Amino acid sequence: MTDTPPADRTPAAGAAGRGLEPWEVFRQEKDGDPMRHGGSVLAPDAELAVHYARELFGRRQESVRLWVVRRADVHDLSDPDLLSPPLDRSFKKPGGYVMRDKLAAARARSGQAKPKARQG
Amino acid sequence: MTALAGELVPATRNGLSLLLLAMADDEFVIGFSDSEWTGIAPMLEEDVAMSSIAQDELGHAQALYGLLAEVVADGRDADAIAYDRPPEGYYHARLLDHPRGDWAHTIARRYLYDTADSVRLEALTGSAHEPLRDLAAKIRREERYHEMHVGAWLERLATTPGEPRRRLLAALGRLAADAATVLAPLPGELSLVMAGIVDAPGDDLDARWRSKIGPTFERLDLPMPPALSDAAGARTGHSDAFRSLHAELTSVRRLEPGATW
Repeated sequence: MTDTPPADRTPAAGAAGRGLEPWEVFRQEKDGDPMRHGGSVLAPDAELAVHYARELFGRRQESVRLWVVRRADVHDLSDPDLLSPPLDRSFKKPGGYVMRDKLAAARARSGQAKPKARQG
Repeated sequence: MTALAGELVPATRNGLSLLLLAMADDEFVIGFSDSEWTGIAPMLEEDVAMSSIAQDELGHAQALYGLLAEVVADGRDADAIAYDRPPEGYYHARLLDHPRGDWAHTIARRYLYDTADSVRLEALTGSAHEPLRDLAAKIRREERYHEMHVGAWLERLATTPGEPRRRLLAALGRLAADAATVLAPLPGELSLVMAGIVDAPGDDLDARWRSKIGPTFERLDLPMPPALSDAAGARTGHSDAFRSLHAELTSVRRLEPGATW
């Protein structure tokens, strides 16, 4: 009889020792939606990881598709030197240059008024 | 051809009542028994999975008791049938009289039960009793996952040498004599076969079950369950373990008989 929980059933404690590893779960809410990260499960292999993903992220009909990926297979990039350079790189943003102040100065020099918004 | 409860001849109605009672009690007892793992399963994810599967079974039991209430039409609702009987009035298979035991025992019992239940549901896919046919089709869709889940566990226990395999073999040994009780012929089953409600009698279902699990047992080198020695007692003479379970599962209901919950 096994009536008491194993001593090591605490978050992450002994997980690796029992052959468990984390799996990342991505879910699609409805057909056509992007896959979004839902969370993760601990499991000894892909088969049980899929079962547990189904229980934790799909049994209330909140997903039409799940992807289960071994965390070790995910290539992580979070280096701030690579992702958040310290110098101003705002010119690389698709918003481009901020023209408002430059336009106002040019209009002031030429004496032109700001054009009215086009009448719809 | 469809047959509604009101149109059934008495013999068929009795047979149908017994079939529904057997199926409902099976699902009720294994659902309640396996729910004992909630909070103490080997790991959190498995805890959620086993609890959810146990809940599914209680849901199946509720639907089957509801159908039974319509067939017997004696004024009792699903809850009254489920809870207001003495232990000896329950009609579940003796396989489910065993306590949940250790994890290997729970997996062995669930594997034997789920595979037999799946054969039983399959025999109802063309049932002439439309409400039962529709319900069986819905239940089958959920049972597919249960079978995948328990199959994965049977496989890993059987193929992991040492304690896992040793415990699994011990569990199959303890359950062997009662393993085939789920599909044991029911009284009145002939009238169900003749009315087209079930597509074959219990003996045929037992053969289907054996050919279904045979290849798995052979591959995993596990001993096949022996033939049932006492088919007549397959669903009676319940164990002390079940009496304890019954006392627990009816305890809240008995607090206030007749209360509206």
